[in-house]
Amino acid sequence: MTASEINTRPPLDGVRIVDFTWIVAGPTCTRLLGDLGAEVIRVENEQTLDSIRFGRPHPSGFDPPDSSAMFNWLDRSKRSITVNARHPDGLDLIKRLIRVSDVVVENYSSRILENWGLSFEEQRAENPEIIYVSLSGFGHSGPQRDYSTWGPTAQALSGLTAMSGLPEAPEPAGWGYSYLDHMAGFTAAAAITAALRHRRDTGQGQWIDLSQVETGMALTAPATLDYTVNGRRYRETGNPPGNRSVWPQAAPHNTYPTAGDDNWIMITCTSDAEWETFCNASDHPHWRTDNRFATLPARLRHQDELDEQIGSWTAGQDGRALMQRLQSADVPAGVVQNGVDLVVRDPQMKSRDWTVIRDHPVIGEHLTDGLQIRFSRTPAHRDLPGPPLGEANQYVFSDLLGLSDEHIAELQVNGAMG
Amino acid sequence: MGPLDGINVLDLSDPKGHFAGKLLAGLGADVIKIESPDGDVGRSYGPFLEDQPGPERSLYWWHYAGGKRSVALDLHSSDGLELFLQLAEQADIVLETWQPGRERPFDPAALSEYCPELVVLSLTPFGQTGPWRDYAWSDGVGIALGGPMGSCGYDNIPGTPPIRPTEHHAGHIAGYFAATGACAALYERQQSGIGQHIDIAMHECLGFTIESSAPWALYEQHPLIRQAGRHAGPQPTEPWQYPTADGRLINIFGMPRSEASWLALVAFIQEHGMGENLSDFELLDGRKRQLGLQQPSVAMMLADIADFIAAHEAQEIYAGAQAAGAAWSIIRTPDECLDDEHWHARGFFVEVEHEERNRTVTFPGAPYILSETPWMHGTRAPMLGEHTAEVLCGQLGLSKDELGALVAAGVAR
Repeated sequence: MTASEINTRPPLDGVRIVDFTWIVAGPTCTRLLGDLGAEVIRVENEQTLDSIRFGRPHPSGFDPPDSSAMFNWLDRSKRSITVNARHPDGLDLIKRLIRVSDVVVENYSSRILENWGLSFEEQRAENPEIIYVSLSGFGHSGPQRDYSTWGPTAQALSGLTAMSGLPEAPEPAGWGYSYLDHMAGFTAAAAITAALRHRRDTGQGQWIDLSQVETGMALTAPATLDYTVNGRRYRETGNPPGNRSVWPQAAPHNTYPTAGDDNWIMITCTSDAEWETFCNASDHPHWRTDNRFATLPARLRHQDELDEQIGSWTAGQDGRALMQRLQSADVPAGVVQNGVDLVVRDPQMKSRDWTVIRDHPVIGEHLTDGLQIRFSRTPAHRDLPGPPLGEANQYVFSDLLGLSDEHIAELQVNGAMG
Repeated sequence: MGPLDGINVLDLSDPKGHFAGKLLAGLGADVIKIESPDGDVGRSYGPFLEDQPGPERSLYWWHYAGGKRSVALDLHSSDGLELFLQLAEQADIVLETWQPGRERPFDPAALSEYCPELVVLSLTPFGQTGPWRDYAWSDGVGIALGGPMGSCGYDNIPGTPPIRPTEHHAGHIAGYFAATGACAALYERQQSGIGQHIDIAMHECLGFTIESSAPWALYEQHPLIRQAGRHAGPQPTEPWQYPTADGRLINIFGMPRSEASWLALVAFIQEHGMGENLSDFELLDGRKRQLGLQQPSVAMMLADIADFIAAHEAQEIYAGAQAAGAAWSIIRTPDECLDDEHWHARGFFVEVEHEERNRTVTFPGAPYILSETPWMHGTRAPMLGEHTAEVLCGQLGLSKDELGALVAAGVAR
């Protein structure tokens, strides 16, 4: 094989995905697959637009459906067509598209595609090798399949919300965003790539049924096993311990205030060796010989005093300088960063080009963020912006499906392509 | 048979990669966990069987090593490394988590060149390059630096810090990227015949999980305000978590958007003789019900809803609201999921035989139901070195004496 024959296209080059997703969970999945080289075709409808197309901010002014930064962030690496699935000719267009595609992904509530006439069996009649992914709150089976979720609903039901908070607070802090929208999307992406690999060997497609709550329950195993094995209900140990450790046990393991308004540093010492290093790197080497703090069990018993002493030492210090000082001594320490810090102040992200400038027909030049999977030979890409509504109609209906211009004009008039 | 049937994985990871390896095992790959003869550090993570620590008693390990085999081999010895390289020549994926500037037994990029068909999966805190690549790391430090924690915490308790969700979420998040990257590379290899090196920085994976913080930061450099039990936002929003009569909390974020669903919810509440103001015609307009804008109509609506929730029991509220089409939920603890018949009907929880303890153990199961190639828990987590002989003698052809010598030298166990 000569160098010129070695493939350097993204790994999912040639995979075509019919994308019925909206809001956050499904689009998270298809953004990642689009970055990996799949051709993702969003099937949209002007009457029931994805509300993310209205999501703030709108940096160049509020002018939906193509002005949302949220949409451009979450739905990059995709194309967009407009079809009305409830119109018989629209349904026919979708079926034709499924015939020339590899994967169908949707995250509607659990009976929508069935009602359109696009159940897995009906999809498979069009394309026997299709991989169909349904991503819903409770899955497509079971007594509560008609219940629905948003990210926060799913987080609450899975146990994840209850596992984040301060012990004395009347309510959990939970997650300040739809963690399970992202995680369900990533879960779907892993399942799809695995199923593609299986199909390339065997020619066998399949139906992948995801429940967003289940994707969350799969992340709580140690606490769940403490119940199924030891019989201990979660609440018997009280509320979650704020930023102190659960497992592995560690002390210190907390956030401490630093100079400025609402700035914090996380410091975690999981071993006596790390604790000694920390003491030597701090201005308080005598902490090391204090009996209250000499061993991990002692430090765990005296966490209140320990945290108070460390907190009074960190308060007023510059957080980033302190992090560097502790990290030079090999102590696990990191400032709490928000999104702006990641974009503006994070030297690690900068050195790896986590953000790059891209263009968008309405929004103009903007920053788009990271590629998380860096392949040495077949790099992913992030060059397509969030697609303006219907921008790929001509490409899909004419080039891909071979419809004549007259036929397309007819579908535009009769409402199938709306 | 799983979708990765026939794929051989050498999992050299520490806790950062335990979930990534488990995902590959769940998809049907044969995952050999190569751990040090002293045992993987994950064996010291609790909780423990009957609260007694021990290398075979960690419930963390039972889960995260479930479905893997264990070969105890010291890769920092030349004999151990040589045996590993022999295994690598027969493997499809090597998963490793060493930070590049720290002591590591081999350079993953060099391994990728040495075994061109291999997919070498490096899952590290900050990646193979950059000024922080060797920063000392823990899940807490990773979640703090990576962005998620900055959005989590309390708006209603002054002076409190951002809050880190407990459990091992940096590894969960990066684990999915690692599994996806590995599968995509295998898919590409089916055509090209060659593997590659994949560099995954947990830090960058975390940065893709912060939802609207990302566009607000990328486009406006506008930080969000963290708020208890609900989304961080550019401006403060109304609470979503409300206490019930039986001491539970209900999350009401899924406020109905359609008129039909709204009227059904109002009917449900009014059947209980409450929610008089919910009939206000203004609330028929979906925009007037939209949370997050501090609208007077929403304040009125939430006051009635809070009163209703405070006067009723959680299960009744949850079932009634969901039947009306509102995506409300009870805030449950993980153990309570086992009390819900729905998850049993879907077969989510799985029973795994632990024959050495003469019992079965119930585990959380599949994150996805694949109709033709089902997810599997596989066998119970391996005991330390349980498969050393099986692999080194059976697969590499070492004699019993040669293995004995390695064990005596502390290289294997």
